[in-house]
Amino acid sequence: MTGPPRLSGDLAALLRRVAHGDRQAFGAFYDQTNSRVYGLVIRVLRDSGYSEEATQEVYLEVWRTASQYDSAKGSVLAWLLTIAHRRAVDRVRSEQAGSLRESRYGAANVDPASASASDPVADSAIVGDERRRVIACLDALTDAQRQCIELAYYGGLTYVEVSQRLATNLSTIKSRMRDALRGLRNCLDVG
Amino acid sequence: MTEPTDFELLELATAYALHAMSDVERADIDRRVAAAPSAVAAAFADEVRDVREAMAIVSAATAAEPPAHLRAATLAAVQPDSGRQLRWRTAAFASAAAAVVVGAAAFGVGVLMWPHPTQTVAEQILAAPDVRTVSRPLANGTATVMFSRDRNAGVLVMNNVPPPAPGTVYQMWLIGSSGPTSAGTMGTAAVAPSTKATLNNLGSSTALAFTVEPGNGSPQPTSAILAELPLR
Repeated sequence: MTGPPRLSGDLAALLRRVAHGDRQAFGAFYDQTNSRVYGLVIRVLRDSGYSEEATQEVYLEVWRTASQYDSAKGSVLAWLLTIAHRRAVDRVRSEQAGSLRESRYGAANVDPASASASDPVADSAIVGDERRRVIACLDALTDAQRQCIELAYYGGLTYVEVSQRLATNLSTIKSRMRDALRGLRNCLDVG
Repeated sequence: MTEPTDFELLELATAYALHAMSDVERADIDRRVAAAPSAVAAAFADEVRDVREAMAIVSAATAAEPPAHLRAATLAAVQPDSGRQLRWRTAAFASAAAAVVVGAAAFGVGVLMWPHPTQTVAEQILAAPDVRTVSRPLANGTATVMFSRDRNAGVLVMNNVPPPAPGTVYQMWLIGSSGPTSAGTMGTAAVAPSTKATLNNLGSSTALAFTVEPGNGSPQPTSAILAELPLR
C-alpha cells in the first residue's frame, strides 16, 4: 500500500492532467497534497518563510515536470515528497550561515513521541489512523536507528556527516540507516 | 554475479534514497549504477523505490497545513498571462501578493528594464531547476530575488518600496569576495509600487545589497546597507 489509499489513484489521474497543462487539476492536486509537502518541508527547514518559498518551488517543479513522472518508479506521492524533501534539504545545505543548521541539529535529537507532544508542527498535524500508525512504527525503531533517520532525513545531514556527528564509523551508519528503513518498511508494509 | 563493489553500491541505496549524500557522491553513484550489471541496477532501484514509498507514508506524521495564501500564490504561478507568455511570473513573485505590474525603471550596468526583449532570460531563470527565492524587507516594502546559479542571473521584484529621497538613488550591489560591484541604480521616478528588474551575471556574488547613494550613484557604497539578500 502506498500513500493514502483513497488518494493514490486520484493523484495519478490528476497528475496526468497536470502534465497536459490542466490548471484545474493542478489546483486539485495542490489541495490533496499540500499538507504533506508543507509539513515535510517545514519539519526540515523549521522556518515558515523559507518553507512557503520552498513549497511553492516544489509545486512549480510539479507543473513543469509532471510529464516525466514514471509510475514504474513509484507512487505519485513518493515522487512528490522526494521532490519536496530534496528541495528542503538542498536549501538547508546551502544555508552556510549556520544558525538555522545549528538549531536544527539540536532539534534533530528529539524522538518522535516527545516531538509530537511538544512540536507545534506536529500539534497542528492532522491526527489520523495513518499518522498514529507511522508514529508507532517510528517508536518501534531502536533509539540509534531513529536518531539516524532524524539526523539524515529531517536534519539534512549526509551519511558521512551523521557518522562524524555520532563519532561512529561509516559502515555502522550505513547499515544502521538500512536497518532503520527495513524496520520501517516492514512495519508499514512497504515492498 | 555480485562483485564486492556491487555490494558496496547496494549498501548505499538507502542513503541515496534519503538524499543523505553530497551532490558529488550522488553523481558518482548514478554513474556506477548505470554501469552496473542489470540485476544490481534493478536491486538498487527497488531499494530506492521502497525507501521512498516508506517515507511517503511517514510524511503523515509531519503533515501540517500551509498558510491559506500559499494556494492562491501557487496557482497564480501557472495562470496564463494576458498578452505575455511569462507563465511563472505571478508565482515567482509570490510574496508580492498580486502585485500590479507597473515596473518601468532606468537601470545602470547589469540591470535591464522589465519588461524588455530579454524577457526570455527571466523566463529561463524562473523555469530553471535550481531556481531559488529570497525575500527581505526594504524600507517599508519587500525586495524579492528569484535567481538561478545555472543561468547566472536573477529577477528582482520590489513591492511597496517607497522612492528614495529627492537627489538620491537606490543602488544595488552584488557582493562578492572582492567586495561590492554596482548592479545598477533606481531613482525616484523608477520606483513604482511594483518594480521589476533582471540581474545579469551574478558571477560568484554571495548577496545582493541595497544602499541609498547621492546623485546618480557611487562607484562604491557610501552609506549603510539597507537590505541584503543572500544569494545562496
